Amino acid sequence: MKLQNLTDNVLMMKVKSGDLDKLGLLYERHKRKLFGFFYNLGNNPSVSEDLVQNVFVRILKYRESYSGDGAFAAWMFRMARNVNNDHHKKISKEKISDGIAPEDVMEGSDDGLNETMDQQGDAIRLKRALTFLPDDKREILLLSKYRELKFHEIAQIVGCSEGAAKVRVHRALNDLRKIFLEMEML
Amino acid sequence: MMEEEKFELLAMDFLAGAMNEADAKAFEELLLNNLGYKERFLALKEGWAMMDAMESPEPSNRMDGAFYEMLNVEMEQQKTKTSNGQLPAWLTDLIKPQWAFGMLLLIVGLTLGYFLAPSVGSRPELQDMVIAQNETEEVRQKLVLTLLDQPSANQRLQGVSEANKCQSADSIVIKALLQTLNRDTDVNVRLAAIESLTNYVDNPMVRQGLVQSIPNQESPLLQITLANLMVALQEKASIAPFRQLLKEKQLDTTVKKRIEKTIESII
Repeated sequence: MKLQNLTDNVLMMKVKSGDLDKLGLLYERHKRKLFGFFYNLGNNPSVSEDLVQNVFVRILKYRESYSGDGAFAAWMFRMARNVNNDHHKKISKEKISDGIAPEDVMEGSDDGLNETMDQQGDAIRLKRALTFLPDDKREILLLSKYRELKFHEIAQIVGCSEGAAKVRVHRALNDLRKIFLEMEML
Repeated sequence: MMEEEKFELLAMDFLAGAMNEADAKAFEELLLNNLGYKERFLALKEGWAMMDAMESPEPSNRMDGAFYEMLNVEMEQQKTKTSNGQLPAWLTDLIKPQWAFGMLLLIVGLTLGYFLAPSVGSRPELQDMVIAQNETEEVRQKLVLTLLDQPSANQRLQGVSEANKCQSADSIVIKALLQTLNRDTDVNVRLAAIESLTNYVDNPMVRQGLVQSIPNQESPLLQITLANLMVALQEKASIAPFRQLLKEKQLDTTVKKRIEKTIESII
C-alpha cells in the first residue's frame, strides 16, 4: 500500500506537534524537486540551494498554521513560490539584478554545477527556451512538471480557477514548444 | 468545432490522466475524426515531453549541511524550552521494574527457543529454524501485550514499536493495538497504534476496528490522521461514524472541514 501523500501529511502533523526530527524525512523527500523548481525558474545553483533552505526555515516557522487539509506538497510549493517572489523583490530593491534577464543569471553563474551538460544539445536550448517565457507561464509549467500536484492545487497556489490553470498550462506548453522550434531554426 | 477553451481543458485532462475511461475514449475519437485537433494535441504532447525531459543539477552537500545545522539548532532550542531538570527518560525507563520484567520475558523466550530446537533431533534443520522463529514471535507478542499494559507512555510506545517488528500479528495483538487506539490516554501512543495498524489494513478486523475507533477520538491530530487514512483506503463504512463525529459541538473547525471533504471524496 503506497501512502506517500498520507505519510507526508502525518509527518508534517508530527513536526507541528513538536517532533521536529521528522522534518529531516520531509527534506530528504522533497529537496531535489524544490531545488529543480528554483533552478529552472532561473536562479543559479547556489541561490537555489539557499532558497530551498529558506522554504524549510519557513515550514518550521509557520508549522502551527499547517492544518493537514490538502496535500503537503501543495502547501510546500505555495511557500516555495512566496520564497522565490520575496527573493526577487529583495534583489530588485537592492538593484543587484537591475537589467539582468533570467537567462543571463543562469549563464553568468560561476558555480560550475552541470555546466558541461549545458554546453550542448537540446538540454541547453530547452532551458533557454524556458527563460524566454514570461515568469507566470514558466512558474505554472514547473508546478505541473512534478505531477504530484493536481490542477486544483496548482490553481490554489497561483490563485486562479482549476479550469484557468489547465488552460494556462496548455498555452504555456504550446509557447515553450514554439520558442524551442524557432531557436532550432536560428 | 468545439470552443477553443473546451479543447484546451480536455487535452490537459487527457494528458494528465485525469479523465475517466468513457471521456478518454470520446476524446480519442475526437482526435481520430479531426486532423486539426490531432495535430494540435500531438504538438501539446511534445511540449509536455519536453518538460518531462528537463533536468536540473544535483544540489551540493553544502545544502544538506546547512539544513541539518538549522534543524539541530531548532531542536536544541526546543529541548532547552521543555527541559524541567528531571532525570533523563532513558534512565527512568531502566529503573522501572516492569521494563525489566519485559526484557526478562524476551530473554527467557529466546533461551527456550534456542535450547528446545536442537532436542527435536529427527526433524530437518529448516523445520527447527521455523519452530525457533515461531517461538521468538510468540515471545515478542507477549512482550507487546506486557508493554502495552504499562503505566508509562514511553513503555507503551515501545510496545507499539515491538508490534511493528512482528512478522504477522495475531488477533490478540491486533485487539491490543485497537484497544490502545481507543483507550490510551496519550495521543502519541494512539498515533503510533494507528501507524502500526496500517501494516494490517488488508485484515477486515483491523479495518473494522479503525472505523469503529473514529467516534472515540477527541484529538484533532488523530481525527485528521484517521480521515486521511480512510480516504487512502476509500473505506465507505467510515462515512457513518464521521457523520456522527460532525454532530459534536466541540469539534475543531479545521477538522470539521477535513471530515466533510473526506466524506465527499469517499462517496
